[in-house]
Amino acid sequence: MTYLLGIFQTIGVHTLLGLSAYLLLLTGQLSLAQVGFFAIGAYVSGILTVIFTWHIFPALAIGAFTAGFFAFLVGFPALRVKGLMLVVATISFSEIVRLFFFNLSWRVNVNGLEVGPDSTQGFREIRYFAANGWEQIHIVGLIWFVVMVVMVGLWWLDRVRAGAVLRAVGTDELAAQSSGINLTMVKVAAMTGGGVIAGIGGGLFAHSTTYVDHHTFVILLATFAVSYPIIGGLRSVMGTLLAVIFIQGVIVEGLRFMGDYRNLIFGLLIILVMNLRPQGLLDGHLLEDMKKLLGRLTKGEKADA
Amino acid sequence: MNFDHIDIIQSTIDGVLFGSIYALIGLGFTLIFGAMHKLNMAYAASGIAGAYTGLMSLTILGMPVLMAFIIGPVTAGLIGLLLYFACFRFMPRGNQLAPLMASIGALFFIDELIIHETSGSPMSFPAVLPDAYFFLGEFGIRGDLLMVMGFSFILMAIVMLLLYRTKLGLGTRATSQQPVAALLCGIPTHRTNGTTFVLAGVLGGFAGCLLAASVGVLSPLLVLPLTIKGLIVTVIGGLGSIRGAIIAGFAVGAAEGVFLLVRGVNERDIYVFLLLFLFLVFRPNGLFGTTINRD
Repeated sequence: MTYLLGIFQTIGVHTLLGLSAYLLLLTGQLSLAQVGFFAIGAYVSGILTVIFTWHIFPALAIGAFTAGFFAFLVGFPALRVKGLMLVVATISFSEIVRLFFFNLSWRVNVNGLEVGPDSTQGFREIRYFAANGWEQIHIVGLIWFVVMVVMVGLWWLDRVRAGAVLRAVGTDELAAQSSGINLTMVKVAAMTGGGVIAGIGGGLFAHSTTYVDHHTFVILLATFAVSYPIIGGLRSVMGTLLAVIFIQGVIVEGLRFMGDYRNLIFGLLIILVMNLRPQGLLDGHLLEDMKKLLGRLTKGEKADA
Repeated sequence: MNFDHIDIIQSTIDGVLFGSIYALIGLGFTLIFGAMHKLNMAYAASGIAGAYTGLMSLTILGMPVLMAFIIGPVTAGLIGLLLYFACFRFMPRGNQLAPLMASIGALFFIDELIIHETSGSPMSFPAVLPDAYFFLGEFGIRGDLLMVMGFSFILMAIVMLLLYRTKLGLGTRATSQQPVAALLCGIPTHRTNGTTFVLAGVLGGFAGCLLAASVGVLSPLLVLPLTIKGLIVTVIGGLGSIRGAIIAGFAVGAAEGVFLLVRGVNERDIYVFLLLFLFLVFRPNGLFGTTINRD
């Protein structure tokens, strides 16, 4: 049971990461800065609960806000260049954040214990949940509650004008600009939103694992973050969730007996999926087909009644 | 900390010499970008993989050291061709995300393959000129780094000659300017792109071998930093600009040497990355980039 809950925990956190990349991918921008925002959220909310002994919810909120703020700051210079240069800029940003926390040492005495980030040794004492009597099932519940809120929010976004604007920028920048859309504003907004989502994810991650260090926040994690929505397909938020369950649940956990080879399979799988389904697993055609099938089924039921 | 102008000049010299490796990697990135307007993220990894095969040929088959500098680049060129077919050849032309993502997948595949085969532990690479050390007034110059630089200059000259003096180069430049028009003129664009990947791969293989020879070890940990530095060089030089990549390579090397002296090894890379952001804010096209927001 604990093992199963652990998997749910991982899938939840990774879904948040994937959704934060999804939001920016809607505008056609591939960002590897998501792991930087994730790290900011993790460290900021961790520092707030550990050093300043805050309650978890305001700490998570401030962590998410800080991550969003940095996303906003990075967005302006990074999004002036587009597409491929953005990849380079965002990799650099993630590495700057990682190296900053790698060098950050802030040890404080709280209730007779020395706590806080200890540069290369990592940040060890994020024990808010254990200290306040949270069970693992509560933690998983909290993570999935946040995941659901974010997913419903993004689903709703696709049904209002803002979502249409995002997709317009992603489909054809020139046409979007001609229709009077402020490209930079839309992209920076998407980047900020992605930063907030990744920041909450980071805070939840730090508190559920109780320990973070700079090794956690390498570019590999950013690659995972963008690979979920790309492999799953950008037509629907469900694609991201599907890809996370497939990669984390089936490949990482299900193939555990294969040991090291799983990482090799991950790389090959990305290449294979991109060649066979460049639009992702859950692409437009498949969604249409599913809708038709669903329509036929419900129609059939009606006819029976 | 105390250092005078001699220390600073000395670190700059070391940095510039080392920067020739970055220049080679940046050149390869820029060649591929120029040809296809797509980024091959697995490029530096293929160079390191080439260096590994070169090293294997030394340790397993007992070949002379120089053979590593032939086998390494050849393998890297082959890997480049494989990457072209695996990640670029069959992708829809307008889709930017799919080939980028596929090449990131290839990057991790190569990285993991190296880790898997070597159990993740670094392997020592034989030094080429271990005792060579020159003095130039008050400054010392490492002989092997000087050799690295000389090697890179020769390679850059060859690339320039290939691009601007041969029919193959003409075809490559035509494809990079207007793929459809080039196709209409009878240039086999797919083959041209494939050749560019092989050429860039060979360059990467040389860069990987030179890096291993000057650092003294080969480790999977070299892959990501080399990729990131190569990308930074490409962006600072201006995407698709060949002389930009070369100049930016030396400049980034020099900056790295100075930051290493002033701020130490843990913080060195932070400042190199901040330098990139400085460029993105004030010169988003890089030193020699052509048009604004080119994709």
